[in-house]
Amino acid sequence: MADDLPTEFDVVILGTGLPESIIAAACTRIGQRVLHIDARNYYGGNWASFTFSGLQTWIENCKQELNTELAAACKGQALDNEEIIPFNKRNQTIQNIEVFCYSSTEDGEAVEEAGALNINSALLTTVTSSDGQENSSIDISKNHTSTEQNDSPEGRSDLEEATNSDQRSADSTLETGTIVEVEPSLTQAIQQDSPKTITYSQIVKEGRRFNVDLVSKFLYSRGLLIELLIKSNVSRYTEFKNVTRILTYHNGKIEQVPCSRADVFASKQLSMVEKRILMKFLMHYIDYELHPEDYQDYENSTFLEFLKSKQLTPTLQHFVLYSIAMVPENAKTIEGLKAMQHFLRCLGRYGNTPFLFPMYGLGEIPQCFCRMCAVFGGVYCLHHSLECLVVDGDSKLCKAVIDHRGKRVDCKYVIVEDSYLPEQICANVSYKQISRAVLITDCSILNTESNQEISVLTFPPADKGQTAVYITELCSSTMTCMKNTYLVHLTCSSTKPTAKEDLEPVVQQLFTLSTENDIEANDRTKPKVLWALYFNMRDSSGVPRQSYAGLPPNVYVCSGPDHCFGNDHAVQQAENLFHELYPSEEFCPPAPNPEDIIYDGECAQQEPSESSIPVDSKAEASAENETVVESYEDSEAQKAE
Amino acid sequence: MSMEDYDFLFKIVLIGNAGVGKTCLVRRFTQGLFPPGQGATIGVDFMIKTVEIKGEKIKLQIWDTAGQERFRSITQSYYRSANALILTYDITCEESFRCLPEWLREIEQYANSEVITVLVGNKIDLAERREVSQQRAEEFAGTQNMYYLETSAKESDNVEKLFLDLACRLISEARQNALVNNVDSSLPGEGKSITYLNCCNFN
Repeated sequence: MADDLPTEFDVVILGTGLPESIIAAACTRIGQRVLHIDARNYYGGNWASFTFSGLQTWIENCKQELNTELAAACKGQALDNEEIIPFNKRNQTIQNIEVFCYSSTEDGEAVEEAGALNINSALLTTVTSSDGQENSSIDISKNHTSTEQNDSPEGRSDLEEATNSDQRSADSTLETGTIVEVEPSLTQAIQQDSPKTITYSQIVKEGRRFNVDLVSKFLYSRGLLIELLIKSNVSRYTEFKNVTRILTYHNGKIEQVPCSRADVFASKQLSMVEKRILMKFLMHYIDYELHPEDYQDYENSTFLEFLKSKQLTPTLQHFVLYSIAMVPENAKTIEGLKAMQHFLRCLGRYGNTPFLFPMYGLGEIPQCFCRMCAVFGGVYCLHHSLECLVVDGDSKLCKAVIDHRGKRVDCKYVIVEDSYLPEQICANVSYKQISRAVLITDCSILNTESNQEISVLTFPPADKGQTAVYITELCSSTMTCMKNTYLVHLTCSSTKPTAKEDLEPVVQQLFTLSTENDIEANDRTKPKVLWALYFNMRDSSGVPRQSYAGLPPNVYVCSGPDHCFGNDHAVQQAENLFHELYPSEEFCPPAPNPEDIIYDGECAQQEPSESSIPVDSKAEASAENETVVESYEDSEAQKAE
Repeated sequence: MSMEDYDFLFKIVLIGNAGVGKTCLVRRFTQGLFPPGQGATIGVDFMIKTVEIKGEKIKLQIWDTAGQERFRSITQSYYRSANALILTYDITCEESFRCLPEWLREIEQYANSEVITVLVGNKIDLAERREVSQQRAEEFAGTQNMYYLETSAKESDNVEKLFLDLACRLISEARQNALVNNVDSSLPGEGKSITYLNCCNFN
């Protein structure tokens, strides 16, 4: 079907990252005609996730220089009193890509860096048998419940269970008055009986099993993104896993941070006195606003100084600062208290940690909003580039865009991801950088009985001036890596010229980097890295609108991903921009449940649209939400008892 | 209808070029309607129909492309948890048949590898304008291990059969899977156990 684009839209959105996708959905939900375009042939921009072969292609594309000349077709499309602002067609947001392969290749050939990445030859290699895979088969339904977030019965029972077990263990501990203090070094935990070596060609062959996120973030279970997914009903498009462990690196060891009451009391790293202090401290400051007298004197000090003043032991200070508040050492007291409160309030909503991770990776989330946009009439065009903005000579407003085929599309507003902005507009902008590493490893950084843990670890900064490194470790049941491997993401704000310089020291401390096939016994305390990727991503999240020169007033800019661990920045940005465009409209109202839509036999022929949505669907939805919230609060109250 | 009112829940996903009649098939099956010249289905994510087979209530959740196929921009997440795919082409449109390999590549990449795929040649009411012979389509389906069926959403030919046959196959697969699952869980990446997990939890 020779299907040409319509010639007129209300909003043209360029880029399919998270904020752009949220805005796209929000706009069609209020009946605006949206054209959503991405020059890349995949969704998500720098929020995308890739299969292993997709990642290779991405790496190649990042290195390529694209033709940056303005298509001649554009000129003819602009009228006399119109000016043209060309779009940038070169993606300059990704730099310093370095790839290392430590896993053996089938034929024993030594593998060095990028040379090993010839996809075609690797794809043709057939792997004979994958032994050792059976002894660790994963029963997802037993070990992990995937929590659909709405008001799934699952989520609730999980929570109840967690709460009950919390109480049980706490009660029994208090009654008997004994806490078993076992001190086995956790880092030397259970080893697999037969070490299985995964070869590079196995990774390539199972490449489809990987979904490697370019940005690594978890969702706070009461963060803005989860609330938006629930409110808008976009949550129906995806499923989540609970993050199962919060880890910390302390005195050269990786330890699990106790989050729930049960965890605290079961913790092997804390003394009994520490356990009581920690529980008391957390319970007290979950509502820190109620006790201003307790922190007022420290409002101008750092959170760490505040923690010291509260008689927390160094171990507890470390836990609270890096793993619960997850703030830098120089964070002020209020910032730390707020972060800690957010963390604590997120606990127990869906599981024992405050975080959720989307099945198949974070890259699914922008796509879910795009689907919602499309369901409400948004037009989607990937692999379609826009050449330029057309600006009215008098009003200086953007009137249209012109695509690479010279097609002119009129519009009222343009929303553009910042990487598409031309140099002339960004000349005065200074960017921060994010350092990223992606590792495929052969076992978990903290082995336990379960080989299906999803963990987050904050690695404290090595020197002053450096930042903490957020590390996430994903198991294969998240559908982001093949069986018997883990996918590890490292993220920090860049302080050195390249991502590798920032992150390799941390990688070396936690992992074994070796191309040797045979594993020495003493090396087995650390997971082996099979494959590693480093890159820098531009962080445009802090760039104020004023720093863009000569931007038409009806053109709005979305930033790429920020360096923070949550997704609040992207959601907030989307909501703010949406309200600049449509101040009086509701942001992402609940989409009707398809099961509630009543089709009137005859009517449907003329009006196949929203007209038949029952009026009370909204009311119902919000009533449901309320009960859900109530039940959570109940259980939290129980917890706090 | 209460949410618990079924024994099985399956997600069926339609794909294929724009204009081959995907939405018409869904509407004919779920509502018994054939709206000629209807526009895009705005605001409707998926349609539901509960059917009874051998005394068991099967709830079919049938998802349409939301127009994203128009410029080849279907999201990967659309395929993720599908139990079955209905790959549709128009028997009067050679081009829609020639695009099938491209669709199969997408399926291979994003759908779980145990998904049941049915190839459907729609618009047999326009037999006089047929461009793709039944034999050719059958052969193609055979090479790809797909079931093949020709339908007319307009005349309601084979539409019920398409969905009911599919439901039957899904039930028997689910049963087998449940048996197998007790001994050996499905591979991670198949995504299947998750879907069944939901299914069972609502029971």
